[in-house]
Order: sequence, then C-alpha cells, then structure tokens
Amino acid sequence: MIGLGAAALLTALGPRRAATQTPRHPRPAPLPLTPNIPNETPVAPREWATDTSRLLRRVTYGLTDADVQAAKKYGFRGFVERQLDYTQLDDSAADAFVGSKYPLLSQNITQLFAASATTVQLQLQQATLYRAAFSTRQLYERMVEFWTNHFNISIIKVGYLKAVDDRDVIRQYAMTTFRDLLYASAKSGAMMAYLDQNQSRSGAPNQNYAREIMELHTLGVNGGYTQNDVAELSRVLTGWTIAGRGDFAFNPAIHDWGAKTVLGVTIPAGSPSMGAAGIKEGEMMLDVLLAHPSTATFIATKMLHWFLSYDPLPAQIAAVASTYTATGGDIKAMIRTSLDSAWLTAAPMKLKRPFHFIASSLRTASPAVTNVVTINSQLTNVGQPLFHWDTPDGYPDKVEYWAGNVLPRWSYASYFTSLGSGEVVIDAASFMKGNTADSTIANIDLRLFGSEIDPTLKASLAAYLKAGALNVARVRETLALALSANSFQWY
Amino acid sequence: MIDERDDDCGCTEYRELSRRQFLGTAAGGSMAAVAAAYFPAWLPKVVLAESYTSTRDVILSVFMRGGADGLSLCVPFGDPSYYTGRPTIAIPRPDAAGALTTKGIALDNFFAFPQAMAGLMPAYVATDLLVVHATGQFNSSRSHFDAQRYMEIGKPNDASLVTGWLGRHLASMPPVRSTAPLRALGLSSGLQKTLVGAPKTLPIANPAGFSIGGSAATAAARMAFLQTDYGGATEPIHSAALDATNTVSLLATIGFSTYRPANGAVYPNTSFGNALKSVAAIIKADVGIEAAQVDIGGWDTHSAEDPIAGSMYRTMQDFSNSLAAFYADVIATAPTTGVTAVAFSEFGRNARENGSNGTDHGRGTALFAIGKNIAGGRVMVNNWPGLAKPNLDSGQDLVVTIDYRDILAEIVQNRLGNANLGVVFPSWTPTMRGVTR
Repeated sequence: MIGLGAAALLTALGPRRAATQTPRHPRPAPLPLTPNIPNETPVAPREWATDTSRLLRRVTYGLTDADVQAAKKYGFRGFVERQLDYTQLDDSAADAFVGSKYPLLSQNITQLFAASATTVQLQLQQATLYRAAFSTRQLYERMVEFWTNHFNISIIKVGYLKAVDDRDVIRQYAMTTFRDLLYASAKSGAMMAYLDQNQSRSGAPNQNYAREIMELHTLGVNGGYTQNDVAELSRVLTGWTIAGRGDFAFNPAIHDWGAKTVLGVTIPAGSPSMGAAGIKEGEMMLDVLLAHPSTATFIATKMLHWFLSYDPLPAQIAAVASTYTATGGDIKAMIRTSLDSAWLTAAPMKLKRPFHFIASSLRTASPAVTNVVTINSQLTNVGQPLFHWDTPDGYPDKVEYWAGNVLPRWSYASYFTSLGSGEVVIDAASFMKGNTADSTIANIDLRLFGSEIDPTLKASLAAYLKAGALNVARVRETLALALSANSFQWY
Repeated sequence: MIDERDDDCGCTEYRELSRRQFLGTAAGGSMAAVAAAYFPAWLPKVVLAESYTSTRDVILSVFMRGGADGLSLCVPFGDPSYYTGRPTIAIPRPDAAGALTTKGIALDNFFAFPQAMAGLMPAYVATDLLVVHATGQFNSSRSHFDAQRYMEIGKPNDASLVTGWLGRHLASMPPVRSTAPLRALGLSSGLQKTLVGAPKTLPIANPAGFSIGGSAATAAARMAFLQTDYGGATEPIHSAALDATNTVSLLATIGFSTYRPANGAVYPNTSFGNALKSVAAIIKADVGIEAAQVDIGGWDTHSAEDPIAGSMYRTMQDFSNSLAAFYADVIATAPTTGVTAVAFSEFGRNARENGSNGTDHGRGTALFAIGKNIAGGRVMVNNWPGLAKPNLDSGQDLVVTIDYRDILAEIVQNRLGNANLGVVFPSWTPTMRGVTR
C-alpha cells in the first residue's frame, strides 16, 4: 500500500526508533544554583563579551556569574556539550522542588482528569517557570520552550491534556530527533483535541490538524503543499483520534479507506479488514513530511531564529538543514551546527519575550524561593501567560510584537524587587556586600549582567543609588531599575 | 470634544516625522534604518497636507481572529443552498415555523442576523451599521497566519512589508492634536500588525493598570531614569519606552474604574467588552486618541459550531453586544459621534458544514462598518455569488466579490481624511462603493 516514492523516503529515514526515555544518572553538581558572591568588590571581566558570553546568553535564561565560571572552565564547545548531555547534569534540586510542589505533573491521565483543571494548569505553569529559572539544564529548558512554541497547544482548549503533552511529548523528546518528536506529537491526545483531529472521520474529514501539521509543524506555509494536499491528508488521518480520558487512539471504524494522493505520493485504496494497520497510512505520510526538503529548511530556519538571529542567513539555514538531512533530524546535532562560535559573535541581540524576562529576573537576582505562585501570575500582566496562546503558531518571537510592552516589565520589576517576605524573598542585603554604593553596583553587575554591564547604565544606576541614603529600600529600587533597563531586555 | 481639532498644530512635528520615516534622512542612524525597514523605497512618497479636514473620525478597528463564519454572522436565508449545505448548523429563516429564539432576524428579504447578533439591530435600524458580504481578500491563503498578516499589512503576499495599514495611515497624517502623547493603542500585550509603523502608538492590554508601580514618592525619578536609559535603545523599543513614560500620566488621569457609559449602554464583562469600554473611556477623555485596535477570537469553528445556542452563538453575542454598547455609548452619543468602527476577519468558512458540525477554512465572509457617516442599514453585496456548488470558490467557498480594502480605503479617505491611499494600501486602486455618506 506504500507508493514507490514514499517507500524510498521511508528507507532513507530508517526504521522508527522505539520511544524510550534516556535514563538519568545524577552526578555531582557542576553548576551551583546560587552564584558565589565574593566579599570584595568584583572587577568586571570584560573579556566575557565574547563568543562564550554570547553563547551563555542564548542557551540560558539569564547569564549568571555561575554560568560564566562554568563556561570559563569548560570552554565554548565543552559548555555546549555538557548542556547537550543534559541528563548528566545533576538537576536533583529542581526535580525535588517540582516533585514536591507540583505533584499532579507526575500523575497519569486518569488521575489528571479527576484533578481540578485550574490546579493542573497552575502546577504546569509554575513548574515550567521554576525549571526555566533554576534548572541546571538550561539549554534543555530553552529547547522545551522552543518545541512548546513549535507544537503550540492552548491549555484553555485542552485542559489537563496539555500537562500530559508537556511531559510525554515535549519534555520527553525535546533533545532526541525531530522524527521522534513529530511522531509523539502526532500521537498526542492533546494535539488531537487541540486541532480537532478527534472530530475527523471518514466522509467528514476535519482539515485543521492536516493543515497545521504541514504549515506549522513540518513544511512551512510555503513548503510546497496545496489545498488539495490538505484535503487529502485529512482523509489519510481519519481515525487518528482520542479514546478514554484523552489517550491517543487509531479507530479503524472511522478511517477513510479510499485511495488518496498527498504531495504526489499515492496511497492505494485499502479495506476495513486491514483494521489497526490503517494507521500506517498516516505514519507513512509523517515520514514523507519528515523527509521533505522543506521540512529540513523550515526546522533549520526556526531553530536558528531561536538561537541565533531573527533573520538567519541562507548559508546558515542550509548548514543546519543539511545537518537535519544527514542525521535524520537529530536535534542535538542541529543545535551543535546552530551554535557556531563565529555566527554567535556576529549575531545581533534578541529581545527577551516576557516569560524569558521573568525567568531571567528569577535566575539572576536569585531570590530565596519556596514557590512561584505569585510570580507565575505576573506572567499575565507582562503578556505571556504560559500555554494560553490560543492559535497553533505559538507566542510570537518578534521585536515588533513585543517592543511596545516595556511598561508592564518595569511594573513587574518594581513588584519583584520589593518582595521581602513570603514565597519569594529578594535578599537586598546580599547585594549590599561591601557596604558602599559602588560595591552594591558591582554586585548588581556581577549577578544580573554576568559582569558585562553597559558602562553608561552602570554609571546611571550608581547615580540613582547615591541620590539617596544607602538602604534596603533604595537598593531594591536600584535593582528594579537594573531589571527594567533596556540592556536587561536583550540576550 | 472629539471635533475640537487643532488645525495648525502638529504640522511641524509631522514634517519632522515624515522626513524621518519616509525619506530616511534622520539624524539617528537607527531610526533611519528602522524607517527603511518599515517603509520600503517602492512606497509612494507621502503627500504632505498643509491643512486637513476638521472632520477626521477616530477609528475603532476590530480584528475577528480565526476566520469568522460570515454565513452565520449574516445569514443568506434567501439562498436555498445555504440550507442544503448546512443541515445541522443553519439559522432558520425569519419566516420559518418554530420558536422565535432560534430564527433569523430579517435585515432585508435575503439576509438575516442570527439571534446572537440582535444587539446590533438598533445600529442597523438607525442606518449606522453597514454589513458587507462576500468580502475578504482575493487570492488569500487559507492559513490563518498568512491571511491575517496580509490583511493587516494591507497588501497581499508581500513578505517585505512589516507596517500595518492603520500604522501607515497614522504615519502619513499629522496628529489630530500635536501634544497628544498617545495617538493610537492596541488593546493587546503585543502590538498588532495592523498598527505597526504608527507613531506614538502602544499595545496596552489593560489601560486601567498602566503604571510603573512601586513607591509614589520615587515614581517620577524612576520614570525619568528609564526615559534616559531607553534614550539609547534601538527602534522600535526607543519610541515605545518614550511613549510609555508619557502615557502613564495620561492614563492616570482617566477614571477607568468609575467610568459610566452613556445612553444606558452595558458592556459585557468579557475581554472584548472590557476592551471596548476602555477605548470608550479614552475617547471620551478627549486626549487626542485617533485609533484603537481590538481583537476578538473564538471564530475558528472547526467543530460543534452551533450558532443557535453553542460556541458560535456565544462568540457572536459577545461581539454584537460589545459593539452595540460601544455604538450606544460612543457613536450614537454627542459629542463623540465622530467615531467609525470596522470589524472583519481573515477569511470565512466553507459553505458546507464538515463532519464535526463545524466549518473548515473558507474564503468570502462578512464585514461590519458602524458610524454616523456610514451609509448603513443595508447589506452591501456585489452581485451575491451564490452558494450552489458550481458558484463556489474551489467548489467549497463563498467567492470574494469585494476586496476588503475597498471598504477601508473609502473610510480612510472620507472619514479619516487621508488622501494618501497609495501609502495605506499600496498597489491597490480601490473602488469607491458608497460606504460613507
């Protein structure tokens, strides 16, 4: 039942790997969560305005002194490899925090169904924010956000199923192969529900998922498919649905067994007697999409957009696409190609999205945290409540979109730095080590800017701090201004 | 208050703005670069008006995101194919037997509103609401995102253009009030593409909470600090920060929490209703606002559409009751009658329902224009193309017979007083169809 062209493509990609989780072997922590604050006034090591500091900015949620020290120790490539081999990074502190505070996230689909929808949502949002800010596996968390955006699912529409998708699709496969990830997403009950695939059946196909899997997940909007391909693929995918409490299922009874042609690949007519084997038609089309050159280009462009620049160069796109093709969509290999030292050095800064900004504030100001309930609720005020983007394209990653939203960030910074008790406590006194205005500014530079603060900003922060008595209230305001400053918004 | 125009103010700043944005000869390199990126060389040079009409309306632009089903919003009950194509989700004819609560409300002898749109009947009866049908974009994509992008930038299939049609309108007109810190706002956390390129324009999701926070005693000093700090920022961040600092004090003077709508208007307590209420408060505060962009979602009705009692019903009801409140509160009430509202979507839905009692992405749909100077009280069509299969686009969709830019261009020219239609809608020669009075 497989056309010749597709069979060749299938062979090229090799057999689908079994979905197994890489075992995690915790090792001693190489990256301390809390930066060491020296007692003496630190001197800004300007040499970090280099490819390595660029790298740190792009693969973390905020450049801390601990990151700087780690990169210094392991070097550019060494740091990348350690972050790629993320299961070897001890993340037991974050795991323990998430495990104890957000226990619903490890429950099965039936338990999640029975839980309060609001609680599931809040635990998922808070755990995501906490890990972004405090996980040692920063690159992994950046990839989780990338794929969450790429395979966007609104929790408003699918509820607890998003928590299942986050755990069993996005986090499970974020650093495996694009093939494993796409297959997992295509067999995610949450995705089926989000894009109405569970509403589709023979004789009455629903085109929503069929369109978006080509437009947004694989080929890209100009990737060479037609409206007829959308219609035909929607027929191929009839029967891909959900069962029970939202588990993926293939239902042969509602599958369209007629002949179809998608992207020039013909699937001959089958018969209901083939039963569960009808899913192979859709799987074959996933393989066709995975092997399509437009997919290589589309994923490469998007990954470069994420890590490198809003407008990656054609040669850069070609290089990453070539890695995609050569490795069967190996995500780590594509990241290696994308994180090129020369490219990073030449790349312009990117604007932190609101979630990135708030995660940065937590990561760099390193408050004592017993929960992130209130910080998570602030994400609504700054415009990016997690998993709330309702359309399947995900939150925009464009300067034009977020540029105007500076004031909510300033307002957040005021709020955040004022926290002196409760679940998040900013230890203002720890920024005052040295007990002078200049030492305080140096601590802010070290902790918030990885010792790369812009000299003008440094001078103006010092002037603001010195305009009043050196006390906790003034330091908190100065911290708020540092987090509000233009240069903190970029990475 | 709205028609209290400042005829000769603003031109100096406007010429400065024009030089920077259109001719790219700004002193600051970054601004020139932004101008070049925003306004490609092929855009026609703006015609600098020495004076302008004193009847420039404020515009409320509503984007119905998701592909709104025009055949439910404005039901062509006179076309029998509407009923054959939609056995489970059609709105019954106004003269059908059965309960009144399910039937259409006749707009003429061919079209009807569903009950969910009843809120807009007063505006229609007062001839202030125009419905345009079988409209949209020619050759549009069925992708939500492409179709929205091209609709918002006002030029199909041009990936190089990043400014929006309303952004270019504002950029090519002097401000109504030269001292206004804010000329336009998007009720959104991020600036909608429609407004990109507009001077003194911000996305403000919640105008009532637009504040820097922290101690009141130091607020001014902190704002001054940030104004200076962002002085070196690249565009568009630089302007956004400057506008934000200026807008904080502006919005602080508007009593959002105590705002009382006129004319007994009641805004639904929904995000769309609250957004329109905020816009109304800002317009009535008479602070020189010229445009607001508001979005309403919920239109992507692939399944269980149910325009009589289900999800489409609720979305349409929110849409119509919110706009009806804005109409009663603002448009129908002096002195703010110089306000025009438009609402439209990136595409319509298939003429026939799908197997999920919903509708998939289509083409032609309905557009709404409301204003005291809109020639309303009718459904405008350019020869109804019909819903019989041979008459459908690709055998499945209502054909687009009126480019949406025709409608907007006439409003931009006649109500917003902007003759630079080539800037607002590049490469498009609009047909004036009698949209305005």
